[in-house]
Parts: sequence; structure tokens; C-alpha cells
Amino acid sequence: MSSYLPVLVLFVLAVAFGLLSLLVSITLSPKARSQAKEAPYECGIVPGREAPERFPVKFFLVAMIFIVFDIEIIFFFPWAVVFRELGGYGLAVIGIFAALVFESFVYLIGNGALEWGPRQRQRRAEIVSPDRTLTSTIRRVGAEGRPAALEPAALAPAAHHAPGHGDHGHGDHGAAA
Amino acid sequence: MAVNYVVFFICALICLLGATGVVFSRNPVHAALSLVATLFGIAVLFVQQSAHFLAAVQVIVYTGAIVVLILFVMMLLGVDQEEDIDEEPLLGVRAAGTIVATILLLGLLAVFFLQSNRSTLVTGERSVTAPLSVDASLDSTKGVAETAGPDNMATLGRLLFTRYVFAFEVTAALLTIAVVGAVVLARRPDRLQPVPDEPESMDDDFMAALESEAGH
Amino acid sequence: MTSALLLAADPLYAQGVDLTALLITILKVVVAFAFLLVATMLMVWFERKLVSDMQNRIGPNRAGPWGILQTLADGTKLFFKEHINPIRAERRVYVLAPFLSFVPAFLLFCIVPVSGNWANGGDGTVELFGRTTYLQLADPPVGILFALAMSSIAVYGVMLAGWSSGSKYPLLGSVRASAQMVSYEAAMGLSVMAVVLVTGTVSTHGMVASQAGDGLFHVLPNWAVFTTLLVPFVIFVIAGTAELNRPPFDLVEAEQELVAGFNTEYSSIRFALFFLAEFMNTVTMSGIFVTLFLGGPSGPAPIGPAWLWGCIWFFLKTSAFLFMFVWFRATLPRFRYDQLMDLGWKLLIPLSLGWLLMLAAVQLSGQQNWNPVAVGAGVILMFLIGWSLLRSANAKARAVHLGEEVNA
Repeated sequence: MSSYLPVLVLFVLAVAFGLLSLLVSITLSPKARSQAKEAPYECGIVPGREAPERFPVKFFLVAMIFIVFDIEIIFFFPWAVVFRELGGYGLAVIGIFAALVFESFVYLIGNGALEWGPRQRQRRAEIVSPDRTLTSTIRRVGAEGRPAALEPAALAPAAHHAPGHGDHGHGDHGAAA
Repeated sequence: MAVNYVVFFICALICLLGATGVVFSRNPVHAALSLVATLFGIAVLFVQQSAHFLAAVQVIVYTGAIVVLILFVMMLLGVDQEEDIDEEPLLGVRAAGTIVATILLLGLLAVFFLQSNRSTLVTGERSVTAPLSVDASLDSTKGVAETAGPDNMATLGRLLFTRYVFAFEVTAALLTIAVVGAVVLARRPDRLQPVPDEPESMDDDFMAALESEAGH
Repeated sequence: MTSALLLAADPLYAQGVDLTALLITILKVVVAFAFLLVATMLMVWFERKLVSDMQNRIGPNRAGPWGILQTLADGTKLFFKEHINPIRAERRVYVLAPFLSFVPAFLLFCIVPVSGNWANGGDGTVELFGRTTYLQLADPPVGILFALAMSSIAVYGVMLAGWSSGSKYPLLGSVRASAQMVSYEAAMGLSVMAVVLVTGTVSTHGMVASQAGDGLFHVLPNWAVFTTLLVPFVIFVIAGTAELNRPPFDLVEAEQELVAGFNTEYSSIRFALFFLAEFMNTVTMSGIFVTLFLGGPSGPAPIGPAWLWGCIWFFLKTSAFLFMFVWFRATLPRFRYDQLMDLGWKLLIPLSLGWLLMLAAVQLSGQQNWNPVAVGAGVILMFLIGWSLLRSANAKARAVHLGEEVNA
């Protein structure tokens, strides 16, 4: 137990350091409370929606598979210390154990527990009309009322999306077209 | 030894306060944190019994993985709100809990009072884990002192992979069952509902805007 | 090797703890504490200066020579900043979280051997006020498991900071961060195991002792980076970087998405504690890299006291890793979350598991005169089966994943 003495001393010192600096800072710092300051920080935008209440179930599965691997690792440690004594027998025992754990890992992966990838949206293909192209789908902001002659996009053929009055085709894409 | 008493009573206090906190906290996250305190106290008690590896397991597996899972589930289900603990969720749970707790308390008291040497039992001077290390030696030429030294991870390894090897392998099967259970529980229902707050809504807005612009 | 390994604990406490031992302990702890704070301070400066060099900027150059006191100035400033208590915050947990983050960061340093008399077959002990002791704070019987325990406690600091802030970006950041940290903890544990396998001990002192001798052909040192055949080292460096939430794994504070991640709502000294913990962990993690894979403070001591050379070697090796961390940051773009998870789970963990079994088989075959061809064939078969199983599982999951969306 005495080998944990330095850990204890360091623990006390670290906590004391934290508390002391907190105390000093509380004494020194200004206090000017205001509602805006204490509202949840959203880069200056007034918080609208609540913080999410539910998270994807995948986080749960990650924690679950982590427990499995954590326990496996914990069992590996005593084996790694004595594996020379145990020889081939120990290797076989740990091999079976590792295979069983690996099999549950494969099962998890096979069931998509670790699929975080972006989802291909089939629906989007239905919505999009076939004559929608890069030049026609870029939304312009603040384009209203500006003379079309200044727009490089106006030079691009506007055949794809006839009714648009100069509100499609960003400069880059216009140039590309 | 006086230090043993001090350590024991501090840790016992932490454990008991933590346990009380688990039961009486209105906020589930506070309850989970109290559980961490209890587990930590138990880890120190393990160290006091020279069960260093168990102490590490206690911290790594229980506080590091299992309570993290509990916290994840709380965030997942959005149950991290204050609970009204005055109302009973299931009928008869309180009564059953009281009965089990009483039986456990009586059992502990019985163990304590039936021991001939009480003080050493409490402080860990007579280690609970010592019997494990005494007959742990695979190699009969080595003495007990050599095998059961401070390196009790080796001792544990020898025992775990020889005498308790079946239990060890069954653990792997148990873990597999747990994984299957988790996947089944987490499986999505067949009827898929639109997930809220997904970027598709923005796409719809955009299409609507385009169409309205096209209209005039 | 064995004589050093039998010394399972710091000889300072061999005869119990008396007043001298206690005073030496306190002295060591205070020195280490001060060293950590100064090292952290310098690390912040080093990172800013190096990144600005790599980006062709000047970087901090006002406070002190070469701006070396910049961190001190920033830290002092933070003392005078207002403590903001967000209105939606869960007060008690909100105050507790920074402590859960930075206390483990301090404690983690306990097990790093900083120096010692390792040259010419020394066993790493030094004489301090007439007592023999290690130049590392503590060498608990669980050794490197202590590091794993501390890093699993550090998850709480991040997780609870985000949860208790009562704001959405911190919450998202903390859920991300804790999932990331637990994911890479598994890979880290498995690659540590490879070192335990070849050195035969979990004690960090013992690990350095077994790496201190001559290695292959008396040319290479007996470092675990060579004896474990490099792969666990690479995995550990990647996992360690992810565990620290440093670039390219800094999704936790991906500023475009999450403002500043879990510590968005923290101000003043409470923020400083998180910041301190982050950089202190970087320094300590470099120390752990060195201890596990590069022989810790061991190295030749041509002239002068051996412990001084130990310090020098430790400093040089650690600095190399600190440089590497900064280099990563300046060079690599941030991972996407699915890439991060895929890398951790589908590559690092299976690979380190297979590598571990392979190392054990190789070590045992040398010891027990197994047929090398049979061992090699077995290892290749194991990797092939594992790889094909993973591949088919992955393909199936991908198909289901995409198929569901078609029905939606």
C-alpha cells in the first residue's frame, strides 16, 4: 500500500492547487452578471431549440463493445505476465478466448453497430428534377434588384431553368459553364 | 496498525455515502457519480487487501466502462432529468428491496460476529485474498513467498489459466451473449420513422423556395 | 534483467514508511509537480511557436525572450476573468468536471520514470539523502494499468463538463469525445499488452529495466519498439493521439461544428484547468510513449553522473514526441467521425489483437523450439481468417445500412 503514498500526496497537492487557483480567481475576477452572458453560448444567436435529449443508439453500442474489449484486455494482462510459464497451453486458452470475443465483435460489425458513414439518400434522387444542374441549383443571396449585366452567370446559358430571373448560377459555375 | 484503520474508515465512509447517494439522488447523473465514488472506495479497500490487480480492474472496468455505459444510456434516452422518487414505479419494489437489504445486512453481521478475530477481518491485516496466493504456486520447487510476492498479477494469471480456466472461457461466452442482447435491444423497428433534424428538411425548404421563385 | 525485475517496488518503502521516507516522497512530489507545470507551460509556447514557424508566421514574441513567457501571461490573464455560471448548468457537476479532468492528468505522471542510473547495467536506483529510491514518483504493483485507470477516469471530466453545461454544442462535443476516448482506449490497452508480453512485467520501472540492455546484434538498443516489431508502437501513437483529442483527432473541439466542444461554457480559471489538463496530458503521454517503447531514461552515460544522463535522454526522447504532436497538428487535416470510428474499431483493434497473439506465438516458438514454418503458417492463417471475417461483416453492414435508406 505504501507504494501509493506518492500518488496520494500528488493527489492532495493537485486538488489543493486547483482549489487555490479557483479561490484566487473568484476573488480577483470581476462580477458583472447578465442574462445574455449566462445564456447557453450559440455564437451570438439566441438559443432556440433545446439541447438534444436523445442520441443515436450507436453510442450505446460503442460503449457496450468497449466493455467487452475492456474485460478482454483485463484478462490478457495476467496472461501476458505469465505466458512463458504457461507455454502452448496458455496460448491455446487465450486464443480460444480471443476468438470468442472476436466473433462477437464481428457479429456487432455485421449488424451495423459501427456504421457511422454518411447515408446515401435515395429520396433525394426522386426530388431532383433531371434538368437540375450545378449552374441552376446554387442559391444566390442578395441577388434581387441587381442588374443582371453585372452577373457573370448571366452570360451562361440559362436554358436549364427558364423562369429564374438571374437568381441562379454563381460566378464560379457560370465561368465553368 | 493505525494507518489501516484510518484508511479503512475513510474508504468505508466514502463507500457508504456514495451508496446512499445512489439511492437518494433525484438526478440520475448524480446517482451515477455517487456510484463512481462507491466503486472508487472499494478499489482503495482492495489495495488495502493487497489485491492490486482487482483494484485496477475495479477502476478500469467498473468506473471506466460500465458507469460510462450507464451515463451513455441516460443521455441516449434523455432520462437525465430530475426524478420524483416519492412515487413507486413498480408495485412492491420497495418492500422487496427492504427485505433483500435486511437479509444482506444480517448476513454481513453474522459473518462479522461469527469471526473469532474481528479486528483483523475489518482492517485487512488478515487478507481475504491471501488464501488465493498461498496455493497458487504451479512450480512446487518455489516457495510461497516467491510466488505470492507483491506481483500478484502473476499469481492470478497462474490460477486463472489453470484451475479456473473453464470459468474463464465461459466469461467469453457470457460477453458474446451480452453483445447479442445489446444488438437485439438496439435494433431499429421495422417501420422506419423519419429522423428529425436531418439535413433533408433543408433540402425541402430549398426546393420549396425554388418553386415559389419559379412561380412569379 | 531478472535481478532488476525482482525489485518489484520502490526500495524507498521497503522498510515501511518512516519520516525520512515521507519527506523524500514529499520532496519528489513537489519537484515533479513544479516540473509538470513548467513543462506544460513550455509545451504551450513550444506548440504555438513551432506551428507558427511551420505556417511561416512569427508567433508569440512579446512576453519574455522569444515570447517564452506568453503562457504565463495568458494564464495570469485568466485569473482576472469573470466566472460565468451558465443559467442552464447543473451547478455541482459543472464545478466538479474540471477537477475530474486535471487531477488524473497530474496523477498519470506518477508512473513515468524520469531518470535513474541505467547506464552500464545499473538498476535505475539513485541515492537520495542516504536512501535508495527510483527517480519516478510511484511504481505501484499494477504499473501501466494505473495509466489505463487514470485515462478512464479522465473520460468523466470531458463527459460531465459537456453534460452539465446545459448547452447543445458542449453536449454534442462531450458525447463525441467520450465515445472517441473509450474507442481508442481499447486499442491502447492491446498495444500496451504487447510491451508487457516482451518485457514480462507491468511495472514501468521493470519495463525500462528490461529495455536498458543491448538488443539485436549489440547495435540496436533493446527497446520495445524493436522487440514488438514496430506495429504496437504505431498503434499506440495513433491511439494516444486520439486519446488526447489532439489533431488530427480533435473532433471534440471541431470549431466549425461545435464552437469549442465540451468546454464551450467554461470561462476563467475553470477553462484554464481544462487547458492545463490537455497540455499536461500531452507531455505525460509523450513520457509514456518513451517509457513503453523507447527505453525510458535509459541510455549511455559517457561522462558525469548517470542520473543526469538519464534526465537528458528522457528529455530528448520526450521532446521528439512533443515535436511529433505539433507536427501532426500543423500537417494533418481533421478526421471525419466515421473515419475515426472505422480506423479505431475496424483497423487498430483487430490488428493489435492479432499482432499480440502473433508476438506470443513467436516468443513461445523460440523458447519451446516449435517448427517455425508451422508457426508462420498458423499466424498467416489467423490473419487471413480474421481479415476475411471482418471484411464480409463490414460488407454486409454496409449493404444493410444503404438498403434501409432505400426503403425509407
